[in-house]
Amino acid sequence: MDPSDPLDTRILSVGTALPGPAVDNAALARRFGMDPLWEQWVDAFIGTRTRHLAVDIDTGRIRCSLADLAEQAGRSALESAGVAPADIDLVVMGTSTPDQLMPATVNVVADRLGIDQVPSFQLQSGCSGAVQALDVARQMLLTGRHRTALVLGGDVVARFYDLRARLASLPPSQLVNYVLFGDGAGAAVLTTAPAPDAVRLRAVHTRLVGLGREPGAVLEWFGPVDRHSERAPAAEDYKAIEQHVPVLAAEVVDTLLDELGWEREQVDHLLPPQLSGRMTQRIVRHLNLPGAAEVSCVDETGNNGNGLSFFQLERALAKLGPGGRAIGIAIESSKWIKSGFALERD
Amino acid sequence: MNTIDDFVTLLRDELGLPLGAEDIGRSFDQVEGWDSVHLLHLLTALEHATGRRISLPDALEAPSLEHLYAVAVGR
Repeated sequence: MDPSDPLDTRILSVGTALPGPAVDNAALARRFGMDPLWEQWVDAFIGTRTRHLAVDIDTGRIRCSLADLAEQAGRSALESAGVAPADIDLVVMGTSTPDQLMPATVNVVADRLGIDQVPSFQLQSGCSGAVQALDVARQMLLTGRHRTALVLGGDVVARFYDLRARLASLPPSQLVNYVLFGDGAGAAVLTTAPAPDAVRLRAVHTRLVGLGREPGAVLEWFGPVDRHSERAPAAEDYKAIEQHVPVLAAEVVDTLLDELGWEREQVDHLLPPQLSGRMTQRIVRHLNLPGAAEVSCVDETGNNGNGLSFFQLERALAKLGPGGRAIGIAIESSKWIKSGFALERD
Repeated sequence: MNTIDDFVTLLRDELGLPLGAEDIGRSFDQVEGWDSVHLLHLLTALEHATGRRISLPDALEAPSLEHLYAVAVGR
């Protein structure tokens, strides 16, 4: 796209919200009765030092909902952008863990923020959800029918976080969830209005690549008829994830570079997939962008799914100088979606 | 757990991996299906079975299941 195109989309601001204090691996080990060996293993192989949880692991009390976190992130983004709720004419949200199946959480959040009489969409999405939401918002803004969008994403896994679980006897596919994931939400204000020195969202790419592939991650939901089902509420095929994510992430980088005509050396910052501290390190090595500074958050925030890209975006906006370029990547392992976006500051 | 045979039984029962006595001398990258989560599972089971604490750095030095057994029983 021609940078002078008046319908280019710009990111005015990003806001994020995390519940409660950071929960470190020692606190998890204490809560679940795991020994120092387990804690050392998490440090060595997962590499996620802390996460934030909507559930208080000492009391079991649920502190907040996804709507609470998304409202906080959205309000923060609006205030940072200096945009009033009445100026938002499009809302898009991504989540894999809506508070309820109906009403959609996006509409609860819009109501709390005072946003009304606008199109609103919620994507049922995993780790690529933030990028998918950015894509939907950007495409709708580029039609010219809308001018300023609030894009939201987040997850709250509290109802899957069984504090009575005996981690020592859980199968590996369920065990990893207790150390990988956290809760959080983010938001961004996008506009096609002129904004000096803003960061442009130059390209967004999302592709379903799930043909013939088994899901790499599954989150179940239950109703009164099947609530006692034996199905695992949450499971990860972490081996498939380790195998496929680095490859898919590299494909996304190549696609974005081709689309924009950028050379690898021209990328200043890389926002890589945030599976866990260790996995992200491995992926970064695989991506071969030696000149790009890594912008990651997962070792502090935990993997909060649809929120992650916003936490990285928030950090990246603070780092990108004039003319700075960044590429962000997210890979959804549920039914396999690869996605990415490119940023450039004027 | 007193013998290497007990160890092989524990491997099968706790990890669900189709391992036999012939596998325990192999290096880990040659053990079908082996990964870091299995390592955690096994070490936790070994601590339970032996009543001894295992140091992860020591366990990571072990090149095979056989050596891991030696670490676990303190030999």
